[in-house]
Amino acid sequence: MTVENIPNVRTCITPLEEDIKVYEQDRVGEIPDKKFFNKNRKKIDEDVVIVGSGPAGLMAAITAAKQEVPSILLVDENHLFGGQLIKQSHKFFGSEEEKAGTRGIDLAIELMEQVNSFKNIKSMLETTIIGCYNGKNNHKLIAVKRLTKGDQLYEINCKSVIFACGAMENMLAFPGNDLPGVYGAGGVQTLMNVYGVKPGKEVLMIGAGNVGLIVSYQLLQAGVSVNRVVEILPKIGGYNVHAAKLRRCGVPIFTSHSIKEVYGKGKVEGATVVAVNNSFKEIPGTEENVTCDTVCIAVGLTPSIRLLEQIGAKTEYIAEAGGHVAIHDSSMQTTVKGVFVAGDSSGIEEASTAMIEGQLAGISAALLLGYDKEAGKLKKKFRKALDGFRSGPFGLKPKTCKEKIACCWDGGINY
Amino acid sequence: MNEIEKKADIIIIGGGVNGCSLAYQLAKKGKKVVLCERNYICSGATGRCGAGIRQQWSTRENTELSIKSIKIFEKLEKELGQDIGLRQGGYLIIVHNNKDMIQAEKNVKMQKELGLDVSILTPDEILDVVSILDIEGMKAIGATFCPTDGHVDPFKTTHAYAKAAERQGAKLYKFTNVTDIKTKNKRIDCVVTNRGKIKTNIVINAAGAWSKQIAEKLNIKLPNKPFRKEILVTERVKPVFKAMVISFKDGIYFSQQDEGQILGGIPIPNEISGYLTNPTFDFLNHMSKTLTRYSPKLKYVNVIRQWTGYYDVTPDARPILGEVDEIKGFIQCNGFSGHGFMLSPMVTKILTDYITDGKSSDILEKLLIKRFKDKEITHETSVVG
Repeated sequence: MTVENIPNVRTCITPLEEDIKVYEQDRVGEIPDKKFFNKNRKKIDEDVVIVGSGPAGLMAAITAAKQEVPSILLVDENHLFGGQLIKQSHKFFGSEEEKAGTRGIDLAIELMEQVNSFKNIKSMLETTIIGCYNGKNNHKLIAVKRLTKGDQLYEINCKSVIFACGAMENMLAFPGNDLPGVYGAGGVQTLMNVYGVKPGKEVLMIGAGNVGLIVSYQLLQAGVSVNRVVEILPKIGGYNVHAAKLRRCGVPIFTSHSIKEVYGKGKVEGATVVAVNNSFKEIPGTEENVTCDTVCIAVGLTPSIRLLEQIGAKTEYIAEAGGHVAIHDSSMQTTVKGVFVAGDSSGIEEASTAMIEGQLAGISAALLLGYDKEAGKLKKKFRKALDGFRSGPFGLKPKTCKEKIACCWDGGINY
Repeated sequence: MNEIEKKADIIIIGGGVNGCSLAYQLAKKGKKVVLCERNYICSGATGRCGAGIRQQWSTRENTELSIKSIKIFEKLEKELGQDIGLRQGGYLIIVHNNKDMIQAEKNVKMQKELGLDVSILTPDEILDVVSILDIEGMKAIGATFCPTDGHVDPFKTTHAYAKAAERQGAKLYKFTNVTDIKTKNKRIDCVVTNRGKIKTNIVINAAGAWSKQIAEKLNIKLPNKPFRKEILVTERVKPVFKAMVISFKDGIYFSQQDEGQILGGIPIPNEISGYLTNPTFDFLNHMSKTLTRYSPKLKYVNVIRQWTGYYDVTPDARPILGEVDEIKGFIQCNGFSGHGFMLSPMVTKILTDYITDGKSSDILEKLLIKRFKDKEITHETSVVG
């Protein structure tokens, strides 16, 4: 969309203004002729910069602040802190230490209050890191802060940086996947739980992992009808307690089924689902048309690692991590000194483990700068907590993921 | 991974455009070809390049090579049965001072002798070709322009070659690392890879910036040096120019793709040789400043991505081709100094003729590695990026 003569604007994250001029763009927009950057680049120096304010980023900031690191900057591209937490109206599982029983949305508020209480944490919202470069003794991050009157470019120099940038939703390839009405589950959650907008009237959910199951239930709570949940695997991937809740509400879950296509004129009017065999091949003749106006895709996440790659951290493809992931040691430091990673960026897992990884990264970043208050003891405690989460059948995948990352760290693969 | 072949007529090291083109042409001539690429097809310089093809050079060999290369590019889609993304919007080479104009006139004279459609433009004529340029900002006194220069998609081309090669029976092994090359009586005997040993008498070293290391396995010292080169691309805006704009003085090159992105690069000052892959802020800074000096209209266009690749640079900025004297069957196809993609059609044809029919040519003789033993070498001065 073109907004105020500026082409290629993501209107979904652009705040409305009086008399704002928004145009549909035919393929590509004109070269912008209007100034939208302030002329001067602002320079800031920080000790630790944390990119992303989800559970990992918030905990990293709080932990580094407790270690008395003098200047910490927390940056997030959204207009609210909390990352995915602010969409999560359900209660967490796990141990009490990691806030089990608390709803994500409440946790975000609680952690933000803590962040605000520290004088050594500064925070910047609606700020996107567009590039990062490492020098001999420091790292340079280039950021754009969106302001109502023109954007501001920042050059941030820091001694250490923690990337807690989360993950991106996976998309599926099928005819019609670009029709309005096809959403990622995260997008549906944002519309519903952050903006208070119903995404549609009748939803077809793809994917029966925890996200697919929880979002289906939240849709029901919002008064949206969920036609069914379709899962390509022969069994439900998420926790039984979530699946049971859905079933009690009369939503059927079709395992060994997949989406074939979405049809409609200019928007979603329905979708064809089909049964698949053991090798995920469609079984001809089992196609069924489902009438719906929304298709919600919840088929997993891929770690966001672009900034990590740009700064030179070694990455590897690890299936259990959800894709390419930055290789890191047990204190969450990547192969670039002073560059840390935490949360989904270091392998797809859960909010609770993201919080511990954030703490670990916060401690380690502080330690690197010489703030070593009880560091050894705390590190040990966090690692033990992580091991706890990564035991048992649901912990197997992240456990394998982290073991593989450890192998790569030891120089298993070298380019 | 599957079993690999135990024997081949020719083993090509490197799955860039030159490796894949050689694989296709040699297989077409009935040779049993194996190509080893330690990563994936197009993972090196080919897949990271600026994708320009030009015929305006200062040395006769490069001009000849590139004129013939573009003739091949023009017919390539038909031959390979696949679109290669050819677009001939011309190259506009900006001239900034009288001294450079004398050189430009000399170049144009030589290029015209070789039959190239090329002309010298006045500042006004420059704006007829690319309207968004700023003559004062560029400090331009003129330009040279060849309308048949242009752009080819490196991914489409290389994959088209790769597929055509496989149709001709060549084996392309990806993620296959050459760990050693063995000789017997000063003749290539076999290639050792992480997937096994392959017997052969001919090895073509088309490993781009890593060719030096391949040659070292045989104690051959190549004078090539790897240089990190950076490039950026902007968001898509309405297409307003078709030509590639370059300047040898500023080192900048940029063009607009059909889809609307503006793509270009510039060398960062004081870049030293080495295997560095990180993109730098200096480049982003330097490139945006120079680009907006050339075309202030682009001031508010967003950069969406920057990346790096390598130039495999020789002392005279010309490629090293052909067999080395020390070891029979060890053939070089490297040192392209940033022009491997655009020269590839003709270079690979020359090498194919040499390998299959023993036919040498003037150009091949001039580009053998032994030229560096002579005191005087002809330097290619028309280099950007």
